[in-house]
Amino acid sequence: MMSAVTVLSLAFVIFFIIQEAMPLFDEVSPVDFIFGRVWMPIDFTGTTSFGIFNFIAATVYVSFLAILWSFLVSIGAALWLSCIASERIRSLAYPFIDLLAGIPSVVYGFVGLTVLVKLFMKAGVHTGSCVMAASLLLAVMLLPYLVSSCSESILKAKDRYLPATEAMGISGWYAIATIVLPASAGNILTAMILAIGRAMGETMAVMMVMGNANLFPRLFGKSETIASVIALEMGTAVAESTHYHALYGAGMVLMLLLFVINTGVSALQRKLMK
Amino acid sequence: MKFFSKFLKIWAWISMILITAVILFLFGYVFYQGYETISWTFLTDSPRGAVLGMEGGIFPAIIGSLFFTGTAVVLGSIPAIASAVWLVFYAKNHTAIRMMHLIIQCISGIPSIVLGLFAYSFLVRDLNLGRCILSTGTALGIMILPFIEVRAEKAFRELPEEMIRASGALGCSRRYTICRIVLPACRGELISGIILGGCYAMGATAPMIFTGAVAYASVPHSLFEPAMALPMHLYLLVAQGTTSLDVAYGTAFVMMAIILISNLLTTLYARSRHKAWMNS
Repeated sequence: MMSAVTVLSLAFVIFFIIQEAMPLFDEVSPVDFIFGRVWMPIDFTGTTSFGIFNFIAATVYVSFLAILWSFLVSIGAALWLSCIASERIRSLAYPFIDLLAGIPSVVYGFVGLTVLVKLFMKAGVHTGSCVMAASLLLAVMLLPYLVSSCSESILKAKDRYLPATEAMGISGWYAIATIVLPASAGNILTAMILAIGRAMGETMAVMMVMGNANLFPRLFGKSETIASVIALEMGTAVAESTHYHALYGAGMVLMLLLFVINTGVSALQRKLMK
Repeated sequence: MKFFSKFLKIWAWISMILITAVILFLFGYVFYQGYETISWTFLTDSPRGAVLGMEGGIFPAIIGSLFFTGTAVVLGSIPAIASAVWLVFYAKNHTAIRMMHLIIQCISGIPSIVLGLFAYSFLVRDLNLGRCILSTGTALGIMILPFIEVRAEKAFRELPEEMIRASGALGCSRRYTICRIVLPACRGELISGIILGGCYAMGATAPMIFTGAVAYASVPHSLFEPAMALPMHLYLLVAQGTTSLDVAYGTAFVMMAIILISNLLTTLYARSRHKAWMNS
C-alpha cells in the first residue's frame, strides 16, 4: 500500500509544477520562453521579458564541463580501486570516497567561495566567480557517484575477461587497456549521463561560486543556472505574478530535461543488457 | 599499446592521490578554520548581535536541523522501504516492476530546488500549512526516498533465497516472513541507508529556502512552525559577507563533524554486521 505513496509523490510533484507553470504560457509563448535571451521579470523599463535560454545554456555547459573533469579523475581512481588496490584497501577506500557524497552542498559552496574563487581572483579572473570554478566544484561533488559506478563496472568486466586473458599470457595492464576498459565503456557512459542529470539539478554550490549574472556562459565569465534563478528569485517574486509562474516554468524545463535524461538512460541500460 | 598501459597505471595513481588530497583538504580546511569558534556557548546559545550571527551560537539551528531531518526521515523511509518490499517480494508483473524502477529513478532525478517549488505551492499555499517544518520535511522526504529505496532493495535482493524459501516451507505467511525474517536480517543496511539519507536531507538547502527555514527563530516546539537550519544558516552568513565568517566556519565545522561521525558509525556498524553474518 505504502508503495503507492512513492508513485503518488512523483505524480503530485509533476502535477503541481505544471499547474503553476501553465499560466505563464498565456502570456509568453513557449518558444520565446525557451529561446529568449532577455530575462527582465520586473518592469523597471516598462516592459517585462521572460527568456531563459542563457540559463539553460549555463546549466548544460557547467554540467558538461563538470562531468569532463570528474570523468578524467574518476576513471583513473576506478582503475586504481579495481586493478591496483587489494580487496582490503578497496573496502576501506569506498567509504572514504563516499564521505564526499555526504558533505552538504552549501559547505562545498562555502569552501569554493573562500578558496577556489580567491584562487581564480589571484589568477586574474574578475571577482573570481566564474563558470570554471563552479564546474570544478561540481566535479568534486560528482566524484563519489562516478568512482563507485565506474569501478563497479570495471570490476565486473575484469572478473569476466581477465582469467581468459591471463590464460593467454597477456599481461595485466595490457589486458585492462585493450579488453576490460572497452568492455565496460557502455556502463561507464550510462553512469556519466546519470551524473550529468545530478549536476544539472545542483543548486547551492553552483550558485555560490558562479557569479549569477544573466550571460551566455563563457569559461571564465559569470553565468547563472536555472536552479540558481529559482532559488534566488523565488523569495522576491510576487505570488501569482508572471514572474512567479515563469520560475515554475523554469523548474518545469529543468525537470523535463532530467526526465528525458533518465528515461534515455534506462532505455540505454536495457539495450546494454541485451 | 605498451606505452598506453603504462600511462593508464600512472593515471590511476595520480587520480587516486588527487581524490585523497581533495577529501583531506575539504575536511582539514573546515576543521582547521572552524575549531577555534567551537565552544560550549557556541553550541548552546542562540544567535545574537546586530548582524545575524555576530555573536552567540547556533543552538536553534542545530535543533531545527534535527527536526527537519527527523521529519524527512520518517516521511521518506516508510514509503521507500515499503516500495522496496513490494518490488522484491510482491510484484510479479515484469512491466510493473520496470515502471516502478523508472518512477523511482525519475524521483531521484527531480532537482531539489524543484521539490522546494512543489512543497511551496502544494503544502505552504494550497494546504495552508504556511512555512513550517512539515512542509520542508515533506520535500526532503521525497528527496531521500529513492536514496533509501535503492539501498533497501539491494539489501533485500542480497539475502540468501533459501532463507525466504525455508520460512515459506515452514508455513509462515509472506507477511510474517518479511516482518520477522527479512527486516531484522537487513537491519544493518536499512539503518545505515536511513542515517546516510538523513545526512543528505540535513545538508540540503535548496528545498528549504522558501518552504520552512528562516533566518532567525527560537527552538521549534511543533512541526507547524518555521525553524532555523544549519545549512540555511551557513548560506545566510556567507551571503551576508565577511562580517560573520568565523561563525560560518563554525557552522560548517558542526555539519562536517556530524557527517563524519555518522559515516564512521554506519561504516563500522555495517562492518560488524557483515562479520556477524560471515561467522554465523
